[in-house]
Amino acid sequence: MSRKLTVVLLAMLVLVGAMSLKTVAVTHGDGSVIMANGGAPQPPVPWKNGGAPQPPVPWKNGGAPQPPVPWK
Amino acid sequence: MPGPLEYGIWLVCTLLEGAVVVCAIRSHSFRRYIFLNVYMGLSFLASVGRYQALSHYGIVSSQYAYFYYYSDALLTIGLYFALLNLYSLVFDEMKVERYLRFGAVLLLAGTAWFSYAVVQQSSHRLFSHFAYELSQNLYFVGLVLTYALWGAIVKMRETRARLIQLVLALGVYFSAFAANYALQNLSSKATILHFVTPILGCILPAAWAYCFLRVNEETRLAPARLVAVPR
Repeated sequence: MSRKLTVVLLAMLVLVGAMSLKTVAVTHGDGSVIMANGGAPQPPVPWKNGGAPQPPVPWKNGGAPQPPVPWK
Repeated sequence: MPGPLEYGIWLVCTLLEGAVVVCAIRSHSFRRYIFLNVYMGLSFLASVGRYQALSHYGIVSSQYAYFYYYSDALLTIGLYFALLNLYSLVFDEMKVERYLRFGAVLLLAGTAWFSYAVVQQSSHRLFSHFAYELSQNLYFVGLVLTYALWGAIVKMRETRARLIQLVLALGVYFSAFAANYALQNLSSKATILHFVTPILGCILPAAWAYCFLRVNEETRLAPARLVAVPR
């Protein structure tokens, strides 16, 4: 019985350690992913933005051309 | 679309994956390292399938992306079982196989539950999110398990050269990917890193193929402590 409990404890420790490591890596990363199987080129994640093409950000500059900064 | 160099690296990687299975069969080690060989065989098939998907639909197509990420989840599960194969070989004299199996199932179930807990809020494409998240989480579980296994090997003063090399290759493989990930985050615009990732994918099949080809199952390492006997 105690051996089984030790196994459960070890499994939980590994799980907590791995997920903590992942949290640290992802938090300090740029959102890219680790893909470690084979040499195939990695495609973009298809469900990140739905199926539709991503539109330009509408509030960036509006439609008008950007004027030079007057106080430079 | 990938260039000729990327295609070349990918081809080498695929051939090495096939070579692992061939070398294992040739050295009569296929059954002993069954999950390692199943994983390499699956990697070979996944590479062929990915090439088919890529050449038919293109790299930005959803077909290729789904095939890539679903096959990656399957391969990461395969890698997890390959690692457990190494665990059972390292601990085979201690007769703890029953506990290893129990712990492995528990850990896999825990990782799956954690992955589901992360993605359950997204009702949209839940299964795809789950496969992707499970693959990522199992990668980190494999990383921790590999270091734990290496610690056990050092502690138990394991002398089987082939087993040590197989585990070391896995450790180098995981560590190289982790270092590459960190470098990518530091300078994501460095174009050389685009080639480093697929080259790293060749490390494991190359090391394992060499190991099956050159290192005999009976070869033992002489621990240095046995040489220096205190008086």
